[in-house]
Amino acid sequence: MGDRHRLYRGLVRLYPSQFRRDYSDDLVQHFADLVTDRGARAAWARTSLDLTITIPRYRLEQLMNQHQSTTALNITVGLICLGGVAMLTLDSQIGIVLLIAGLALGLTQRSALAASLRVPDSSLRRKRLRTAAVLGVTFALSLATFELTVGDSWTITDTLLAIIGTPAMIAAPLFLIAGLLTPRSKDPVRAR
Amino acid sequence: MAQPDPTSFLPLPQAQFHVLVALTAGERHGYAIMQAVETSSDGVVRMGPATLYGTLKRLVDQRLAEELARRPAADDDQRRRYYRLTGLGERVCAAEADRLSGLVRQARTNLRPGLA
Repeated sequence: MGDRHRLYRGLVRLYPSQFRRDYSDDLVQHFADLVTDRGARAAWARTSLDLTITIPRYRLEQLMNQHQSTTALNITVGLICLGGVAMLTLDSQIGIVLLIAGLALGLTQRSALAASLRVPDSSLRRKRLRTAAVLGVTFALSLATFELTVGDSWTITDTLLAIIGTPAMIAAPLFLIAGLLTPRSKDPVRAR
Repeated sequence: MAQPDPTSFLPLPQAQFHVLVALTAGERHGYAIMQAVETSSDGVVRMGPATLYGTLKRLVDQRLAEELARRPAADDDQRRRYYRLTGLGERVCAAEADRLSGLVRQARTNLRPGLA
């Protein structure tokens, strides 16, 4: 297989894993047929446009499918709340609006989140609780360092600590709640 | 099992309709579908590989098309996958063709003579 095919095969890796598993060989075969029939330039002209459009599209579709949309929504809610807290620390009233918007969005997706949390999975439960612990420690260390180093003026260290500590402060309780609400598996293999 | 109503799939995205039309001529593999789409659209619709296989995946997921378990021609490349229309796919394709021909009729009626 030529370098052109190898390059195309490499680019095919950018597609979502499921699509890749199902069609990567067909895509490469199709590209090889195009090169044979119409020449490399025409093949690349067609496939580069195709790659540019379909890679982000299929990635987005994968992100927004039913299984993963809860994660995407959780991240969105987290980011909006984070933005709200950040704005409030800067004495901006927009922060309150962002926090309300984040909470409203969080409440509307509550049923979807609750449904995903009710799936018994001991390993996921442990993972969530472990993440909560790591985030909690990160927040505590950031806060302690901030208290020890804070002075009259706002330094770059303070900014860095805020960037690390604020998300940890928000995410730690969320992961703790999520972990506690995740039932343990009844399946002994998964529970091990 | 009750078959879904073909009109519930309408309007079909352009790429899906083109692929379904290409499959009305019989079983084809991906590259042959692309060639048929180009021919039937006078070269206007040019599908890239991922657009084509993404469309085929949707059609298979919606049970409008299906992959053949065997290769129609024994001497053909065994790596190629062949697709054909399902019964539902035929009905959906016909329903979309009817919808579009109604639209064309309306355009011809409404537009000034000579424009359409």
